[in-house]
Amino acid sequence: MKELKQYQLAERLEQALGNPSDPKSRMSFHQTAQLDEAESFPEQEIDWLYNWQLQHYYIPEDCGGRFKSFEEFVAFVRVLSRRDLNIAIAFTTLFWSNLAWMAGTEAQKQTLAEAMKKEHVAMCLAYSERDHGSDLVGGSVTAQKVEGGYLLNGEKWPINRATISQFVFVLGRTDPAGGNRGLTLFMVDKRQLDPSQYYNLPKIKTLGIRAADMSGIGFNNCFIPESVRLGEEGQGLEFALEGFQITRSLCAAFAQGATDTALRTTLNFALSRRLYNKTVVEMPHARRTLANAFIDILTCDCVNIGAARGFHVAPEQFSVWSAVDKYFVPDTLERAVNDVSVVLGARFYMRDEHDWGVFQKMLRDNAIISMFDGSSVVNLHALILQRRQLAKKRARRQPKQIAAIQARLAQSFSLTQPLPTFVPQKLELFSRGADDVLQGLETMLEELGQLQAGGVAPDILNQLRSFGQIILEELDAQDALIAESAFEHGHDQSFESFELAKQYCRLHAATACLLMWLHNRQVLGDFFAQGEWLVLALHRLLAPLRASLKPMPPVYYEHAAQELLRLHAEDKLFSIVPFQLAKSSTQETHNHATAPELQLL
Amino acid sequence: MQQLQNSSSSNQTESPVTAIQSWLVSQLSDVLSIDSSTIDVKQPLTRYGLDSIDAVTLVGDLEDWLDLELPSTLLWDYPTIEKASTYLVQEFDVSV
Ligand SMILES: Cc1cc2nc3c(=O)[nH]c(=O)nc-3n(C[C@H](O)[C@H](O)[C@H](O)COP(=O)(O)OP(=O)(O)OC[C@H]3O[C@@H](n4cnc5c(N)ncnc54)[C@H](O)[C@@H]3O)c2cc1C
Repeated sequence: MKELKQYQLAERLEQALGNPSDPKSRMSFHQTAQLDEAESFPEQEIDWLYNWQLQHYYIPEDCGGRFKSFEEFVAFVRVLSRRDLNIAIAFTTLFWSNLAWMAGTEAQKQTLAEAMKKEHVAMCLAYSERDHGSDLVGGSVTAQKVEGGYLLNGEKWPINRATISQFVFVLGRTDPAGGNRGLTLFMVDKRQLDPSQYYNLPKIKTLGIRAADMSGIGFNNCFIPESVRLGEEGQGLEFALEGFQITRSLCAAFAQGATDTALRTTLNFALSRRLYNKTVVEMPHARRTLANAFIDILTCDCVNIGAARGFHVAPEQFSVWSAVDKYFVPDTLERAVNDVSVVLGARFYMRDEHDWGVFQKMLRDNAIISMFDGSSVVNLHALILQRRQLAKKRARRQPKQIAAIQARLAQSFSLTQPLPTFVPQKLELFSRGADDVLQGLETMLEELGQLQAGGVAPDILNQLRSFGQIILEELDAQDALIAESAFEHGHDQSFESFELAKQYCRLHAATACLLMWLHNRQVLGDFFAQGEWLVLALHRLLAPLRASLKPMPPVYYEHAAQELLRLHAEDKLFSIVPFQLAKSSTQETHNHATAPELQLL
Repeated sequence: MQQLQNSSSSNQTESPVTAIQSWLVSQLSDVLSIDSSTIDVKQPLTRYGLDSIDAVTLVGDLEDWLDLELPSTLLWDYPTIEKASTYLVQEFDVSV
């Protein structure tokens, strides 16, 4: 496998933290289970991350930070998340700083960057309100203009890190008449407020991330100076929706880290548990279940790593890409974790058995990812509203545009290509019908058609071509359906339109897998290049759309299971980029990869 | 100078503002499944239940029709059919 520099930071962080199965290491499963049980905020662990200067990687280089790419970013968030989502999420509220990098003045950016680097400040996002949930425009926190600034009134709830943070990004209504231009975004330093003018709401008890500071913040004629306003009055909704495009894609990395651990701890069990004179991992049902979860992880990698890179290449399309990513990845991985729980058996439900009960903790913690920062339905809804234009644009593509799409896709998906600097100001409220991934499908299929069998087994290549054809047929059929059907507006979308949007996400994901493979066959190692995993991934994605698909050869699953066991034995990330994880200092290492293959009947 | 084609009204004497207005009225009545005669061009679009992202996607349809790139927040900034049409004619020199 070629050296990919963008994964070195994640590897360094991993080595600095040590193996989480080792109770003596920092942020070990043992320790984070205790924090969770005690529901106490992981203060020392977060301090350690600041001292390690991880916050520098949330700050763009032109603001004095070390952020290079979202690909690097999602890799290190994954390293944190595989240990503990309490810590990962609490620290990563720093990603709200993207609002400042996107909408702030030079002075505001400098203030925030300096405070993050030198004063180790944290921040929260205060959008939600008890009575208004996802309806941002309906919000009732007001920001009334007064001499030199604004007076804030009202409560924001439920807000992660509302209490234990220095900065709050708060959305307030500046136009009493409301409307899309009625909201304004402020970046408030709470340390500069009169403490009698704001208060915090009590900790909210939650199912998962129990150590989090889930609370709220209330304002009582609270004066904030004009200098904390981001952009102009009335730009709040625009910034909020565009900011979400960034953070929604990044959220997928939380789920990826959690799923790695859920699968790893289940493998620990399945490899050592003996029943009927064999280990659990030798039983075909368990083995297939584990292999399927591995395939789901690889699929989600293709979607999320492609999106993380795509930010740099096609930011104006992210109203579509981020909606697909935020719906597809957490939803798929939640199901993968649930499926794997069957293999862990009774222990999946126990809070202090087997690896300090980390499975049930990840299951609980992970359940929030598909819900916060725009739930699955909210993201599907955002996609539905753009679906008609996606179909129209696809029907009208010109050869020149297709060549440009192809070039952008090569940059988004070839992990060895350098990325341009991310320019958040290029984000757009809607993509004007563009989605490179599915609009580059035909050219990608041509490339696949021209591929020589050298290095790839002819069976695999044929299978991939036939699956590619199915993606195209399904997409064409869906586009035709969209063109014929009456367009519903706003919030009157039918249940069926949500199902169609889910299918669009599946097709987008399937194409992302093919693109990732085509562009990295020489880069990501033999298992990746061989393409059996890709056949399985496409089969999993397309089978629900095509009941007639035949079962895949068992040997493909067996090879996927062997690869999974190899990565587990070598302490490598379950990923298309399986970088080295910290090895255990106490655990003896078994090399299960050299174990004989399961007898295939 | 942009030529308005496929206008829902082919009335040659119609001014560009009126042509855009009638196009928006017909789009809105389509999208909302309401009778076009009930749409008042002076009322904010939100009054008819058009939400923030709907308003943005309607700009996309306008772009297709006029073959122009427009600010995505056009209907947030000019929230009635009357205001949006006047702005378009003044700012983009659209003519029939
Ligand atoms: C652990 C946690 C952390 C959070 N952190 C933050 C934070 O830091 N900052 C913050 O501002 N908020 C935060 N939230 C709030 C969260 O983002 C909101 O709860 C969210 O906006 C949804 O609000 P609601 O549950 O009130 O649901 P509502 O908005 O009331 O929605 C209820 C239901 O209506 C339906 N619905 C809503 N919108 C649509 C749509 N567009 N299309 C179709 N159906 C729809 C869905 O079925 C939905 O579940 C957090 C919540 C939790 C649980």
